[in-house]
Amino acid sequence: MFPESEAIFGADQFLEMKVLVVEDEKGLAESIVEYLSREGFVCEVANTFWQADEKISLYQYDCTIVDLTLPDGDGFNIVQTLKKIAAATGIIIISARNTLEDKIKGLEIGSDDYMTKPFHLSELNARVKSLIRRRNFGGNNDMVWKEIRVQLPSRKVFVNEKDTVLSKKEYDLLLYFLSNIDVALTKEAIAEHLWGDHMDSSDSLDMVYSHIKNLRRKIIEKGGKDYIQSIYGIGYKFTAP
Amino acid sequence: MKLLEKTSRIYLLASLFIYLAVGIAFYWIITFMIYDEVESRLMVEKRDFETYIHSNNTWVNNSYFVENKIEVVPVVKIQDKTAFTDTLIYNRYEESMDPFRQLTFYTMIGGSPYRVTIRKSIVESYKLIEAISAAMITFLALLMIGMFVFQRSLSGKLWRPFYDSLAKIKDFDWTRNKKLELSASEISEFNELNEVMLKMSSKMQHDYKSLREFTENASHEIQTPLALINARVEQFIQSKDLSEGQTHWIEEIYHAARRMSRLNQGLLLLAKIENQQFTEQEEMDLAALILLRLKDFEDIILHKNLTVKTEQTGKFIKIISPALADILVTNLLSNAIKHNYPDGQLTVTAGKDFFIISNTGNALKAAPDRLFERFKKESNGAESLGLGLAIVKQICDNYDLQIDYQHVDSLHSIRVFA
Repeated sequence: MFPESEAIFGADQFLEMKVLVVEDEKGLAESIVEYLSREGFVCEVANTFWQADEKISLYQYDCTIVDLTLPDGDGFNIVQTLKKIAAATGIIIISARNTLEDKIKGLEIGSDDYMTKPFHLSELNARVKSLIRRRNFGGNNDMVWKEIRVQLPSRKVFVNEKDTVLSKKEYDLLLYFLSNIDVALTKEAIAEHLWGDHMDSSDSLDMVYSHIKNLRRKIIEKGGKDYIQSIYGIGYKFTAP
Repeated sequence: MKLLEKTSRIYLLASLFIYLAVGIAFYWIITFMIYDEVESRLMVEKRDFETYIHSNNTWVNNSYFVENKIEVVPVVKIQDKTAFTDTLIYNRYEESMDPFRQLTFYTMIGGSPYRVTIRKSIVESYKLIEAISAAMITFLALLMIGMFVFQRSLSGKLWRPFYDSLAKIKDFDWTRNKKLELSASEISEFNELNEVMLKMSSKMQHDYKSLREFTENASHEIQTPLALINARVEQFIQSKDLSEGQTHWIEEIYHAARRMSRLNQGLLLLAKIENQQFTEQEEMDLAALILLRLKDFEDIILHKNLTVKTEQTGKFIKIISPALADILVTNLLSNAIKHNYPDGQLTVTAGKDFFIISNTGNALKAAPDRLFERFKKESNGAESLGLGLAIVKQICDNYDLQIDYQHVDSLHSIRVFA
């Protein structure tokens, strides 16, 4: 177990974890790589189907992010190949195709997650981490950040080792923050993470505000520090004060 | 009306008309011929009578015989008139009145004027007419029925390839890849029709496919740059030294990109519903579904402190695409919550073949009947796209569901029913 006082969560746990990004839009691939590298991942990019095919047959990755529509091939084939030769790799599909059929097909042939473009990088980051955690530690490890400890299987939260009761949404919110430490998160990204994209209204932004208020209060009540920093006009950041 | 039925009816009507016309004409012709015959015989007897009078110059009325009766009555003045008339004479043996044709003329017998009437029974002729008529009616009717049956079976046989093709065209689904197949027939018109249908169907399939591909490609092509904008904005806001002005701009760029992405998705969804791209269908209970989906809104209902009342009295069974059923009820619920007051009310009533969602809210500014049009939105807030209800309407149109809107004071109700 990591010592409690240090900032051991976030970057360190995923240090040297290898991620392959298969995306033909170079700018987007670059964004994903830059974002994930900040979190400690080692990222590689494949802009075409054949590059991706070559890379997955040569190297081992902890996670592969696959775009379905590639200029020289279908992303589904990459997923199938990965399942055959590297079953340990987590697979997240990112696609502009948002039909139910595509989503079902993606999950059926063995991808672990399906995200529709446009997505939030913070959401992708959280999902990559959650996927690697599930695959590598069976979801049984604790998430620790300073005085906050989250027992994943039992969904329990301890602040200064004191049991802190959070509502389901507050728990999800805390986990989202813990997956995106030191990252400015937009209110919309948080709302979408908590309620999905069908809740897109000004009400959901108010709800984000009230959930954050409650989460902050509950952590402080147990003697924790206030890690949630508001960023005017944009959203929030979970960071050491 | 079916083609076969229509032709049968026309045939039946026409032959009935002809049948009647022929019957009447036949009757008149026979009657005319019989009268002509009787009258010519009466004329012969008149000549016989005149010859007799000419040679004997006297006449003795012998009125015993019923037929061929010649009646001579003295009159004051001779008239130059010869006329045929119909009359009835009492038949003393059969105690009936028998029809006679009589010829009346005036002549001088022994120097004094007389009116002479020669009669001839036409009872036999009438019997003849009846017999001929009966035979004719029977034969004509038989002929007509025979022709009718023949025509019916012939039409049925002739039109068979047409009905076969029709059934196949009915079953044809242009959203699937299976080509339309029609069997050849002996009749060139039907073959031509089949050819045209085959051409049209393959064109339809082709157009449908390219439209579908276009909408999907358009989606991809637009969503990818939007994803890039989103990602870059997210990276940009990570920098620590943003000024307030920069933050404001970046926020606006971010909102505009999100809005565009959602608009794109909404319009694409509408296009897909219009193109009937949601082919997978299942039997769904919309009443149960709406109450189930209401649970997804728990958080926001709690947040707005809405009073929710639900009532389910029956099942609203509908064969519908599950994805669209979800979108239908979710959009309506989301709409009812979004436009609700804080501490307002939300009532969901579902029963046999209907559901009603009622919510409190501000009065509509636009006309209620334009509520379901695209981009007709009540609030000018950036969050509202004005597509939610248009999508709902389109789904209802596709599945023959009725939708209406009513409001009493500040209570708005949208009802969906079969």
